[in-house]
Amino acid sequence: MTTSTVDVKAPEQAPPPAPAPGRRRRFAVHFAHYKWLYLLLLPGVLYFAVFRYAPMYGVSIAFKDYVPFLGVNASPWVGFQHFQDFFANPDFGRLLGNTLILAFLNLGIAFPLTIVLALLLNEVRLSILKRTVQTLVYIPHFLSWTIVASLSFLLFALDFGPLFLFINSVLGTDIDFLSDPAWFRPLIVLQEIWKNTGWGTIIFLAALATVDQDQYEAAIIDGAGRFRRVWHITLPGIRSTIIVMLILAIGQMLNTGFEQIYLMTNALNREVADVFDTYVYFVGITQGAYSYSTAVGLFKSLVGIVLIFGTNALAKRFNQSGLF
Amino acid sequence: MIRRKLSLAAAVVTATALTLTACSGGEAPAADSSKITIMAPFLEAQPPSADGAVQQKLEELTGKDVSITWTPNASYEDKMNITLASSEIPQVMVVQGKSPGFVKNAEAGAFWDLTDKLDEYPNLKTTFPEVEKNASVNGKVYGVFRARNPIRSAVMFRQDWLDKLGLKAPETTEDLYKVAKAFTEQDPDGNGQNDTWGITVPKFGALGTNSPYDMIETWYGAGNRWTERDGKLIPSFETEEFLEANRFVKKMVDEKLINPDFATFDGTKWNEPFFNGKGGIIVDVDSRVSVLISLFKQANPNDFQNKVGFVGGLKGPDGELHTHPTDGYSGFLAVPKTSVRTEAELKNVLQFLDKMNSKDVAALLNNGIEGINFTVQDGKAAAIKPETPEGKAVATDIKSYAQLGTNVTGNNFYPVKQASDYEQEVFDKRVEVMAEDLKSAVYNPAAAFVSPTYVAKGAQLDNIVADARIKYLAGQTDEQGLKDAIKLWKTSGGDKVQDEINKLWQDSK
Repeated sequence: MTTSTVDVKAPEQAPPPAPAPGRRRRFAVHFAHYKWLYLLLLPGVLYFAVFRYAPMYGVSIAFKDYVPFLGVNASPWVGFQHFQDFFANPDFGRLLGNTLILAFLNLGIAFPLTIVLALLLNEVRLSILKRTVQTLVYIPHFLSWTIVASLSFLLFALDFGPLFLFINSVLGTDIDFLSDPAWFRPLIVLQEIWKNTGWGTIIFLAALATVDQDQYEAAIIDGAGRFRRVWHITLPGIRSTIIVMLILAIGQMLNTGFEQIYLMTNALNREVADVFDTYVYFVGITQGAYSYSTAVGLFKSLVGIVLIFGTNALAKRFNQSGLF
Repeated sequence: MIRRKLSLAAAVVTATALTLTACSGGEAPAADSSKITIMAPFLEAQPPSADGAVQQKLEELTGKDVSITWTPNASYEDKMNITLASSEIPQVMVVQGKSPGFVKNAEAGAFWDLTDKLDEYPNLKTTFPEVEKNASVNGKVYGVFRARNPIRSAVMFRQDWLDKLGLKAPETTEDLYKVAKAFTEQDPDGNGQNDTWGITVPKFGALGTNSPYDMIETWYGAGNRWTERDGKLIPSFETEEFLEANRFVKKMVDEKLINPDFATFDGTKWNEPFFNGKGGIIVDVDSRVSVLISLFKQANPNDFQNKVGFVGGLKGPDGELHTHPTDGYSGFLAVPKTSVRTEAELKNVLQFLDKMNSKDVAALLNNGIEGINFTVQDGKAAAIKPETPEGKAVATDIKSYAQLGTNVTGNNFYPVKQASDYEQEVFDKRVEVMAEDLKSAVYNPAAAFVSPTYVAKGAQLDNIVADARIKYLAGQTDEQGLKDAIKLWKTSGGDKVQDEINKLWQDSK
């Protein structure tokens, strides 16, 4: 992973720092020299310009009182009104709390589990078994959340769902998992683990393949057991991958997954289920409060950016290579 | 995230609109008076085909080249808002209700104000001015409303269970409790097991959705969304009767007379427990009676009579009958100003809508094509049996085309002749019961009023109370919790809504 970072950076570092006079010509020379690389870059730049940056123009409605009929330009400006309304809203604290709790649960449980699963798979020596298990754990990733939610509803259905019956008979309880607010988060995290853990192992498995095999031999000769080898060789070997994946995961952290949560919400668990994503949908799309919900979405993005830069800075401080 | 969703959806809508204009030769639709573009929802699995028999007949009868953008009902409101933001706006839009999105657009001038214009057209001059007022935004009529039976609430029960237990049909809410209790505890299906319950209630979210809760509250005398107390309008959940009604429902929940998963039960499966002999009562609109009967008929064509019984509204504890009417309309057909720019163009569109509500087009939209899927017998439309493929196609299509019917001058089409004498008898009884209930209807006195605060955050506000109601019934919170939620409604903006509604109410007097 570290080597690949260097590869990407190489073209930028290669040209000598250009002094002020003749700068243009030097750039022309530089450009002519690397023209194929720039050509390769072009589709990516176009993609980001058209699909990522151009739509940002619409973000301006967060500062307007947008009426679809009037259009973006003709709608009146209202400044930070929508942000003020949002922060003063009694829902704000609840939404922030729910979003953060779910985000940290996903990050704290689902993320390490991915690594654990990758390590376990890596230790499987029987190739056919490893491949079979890999394929099986990838499959849930391709099911839509609607199907995952339907499965959960069937499995946990009150009075006849197999898991409802099983868990309640083991615990001797009478829990309605689908409407009990206390069970909402465990269910969400469980679904997330079931659906995405397997898929997430792919990158780690690739990283694990790059760990120097000689070190294992040396460790075995030194008498290190399996766990010591994992702890002292494997994990340090994929440390930079873990850091990069962690930073990316943190950037995505507040995207708690609209579909999943929307499908699992009902009147009894809404208290803990409402997150930014569902709130934006509920207020924005169903009530037509586009400006307000855009402001909420923008706030969410800002938090995401802060988190990404914060983690990156932390990673660097602890002497790890950050993402950028 | 919302941006991405919006722009994606906008792209889809634009793409559809582009295809449509491409089909009609790529001309601007507004410029040509022989073309009419419409956006309408469809509730079936598939939209009707653009060159089906109904479409051709519609174009023949109206003399217009009609192109309809059928949009799935589930996402109609989203698509409508997105379409308004696009540049491809139809000349006629079905608007499903006075949603905040619609009101905002209307107040910004997106739609023609038709208040003084409709009377010129014989088929648009309504015979239900009260309903037209209900459908208006503070008196401004932004569309031709789609008339619906005002009284639709009914209690349906397993007649065979009732007979087996020797009970009679409920007349009061107390009777409902007794029947529900007997259905739960006295083994009405006779299988020796305690596996039945009384009332099946599915997941219902918001307030004012004609849910079983709403109906029972009205029967208890809590009013209908708003109610007049001491010369002021207050939301019905601020009345003592609201709390009484919910205590009553909670008692039934606690005694397991209502399905325990009422907070999560999928509404599309509402008929199943009734049909499968699990839950014997449904409180819903009376049209479900026919649906239930046809379920039993399908399962056993020889023995489906006397499975489904029904009554209309129930008397409350005060011994009075307060029936629960709807606002009498289900959305309206509005005319956007962006696509219909001049008075002359508006006239053209209104003439078209007038034609749409004439006897022959109304019959087409609601009954189908005579000789293909129905014949007229004793002034009623009888389905042609056995069904031909053409007849079937027409019968399927009109389920969607009926969405374009307004019927503001009453039903101009033929009443449907039911398939069997028994079903005809039940149907006639339904009409009779509903006509009787209409006399005791408790209308929503604030139906016509749109308060700005409510537009801005009404749905969130109402959710506070709606969720607390379910939590109270499920035992997650006590009565104090419900009262606290109502207080929270008031302090979070409800008080302002109430002031605004009262002001509009006073001004309208």
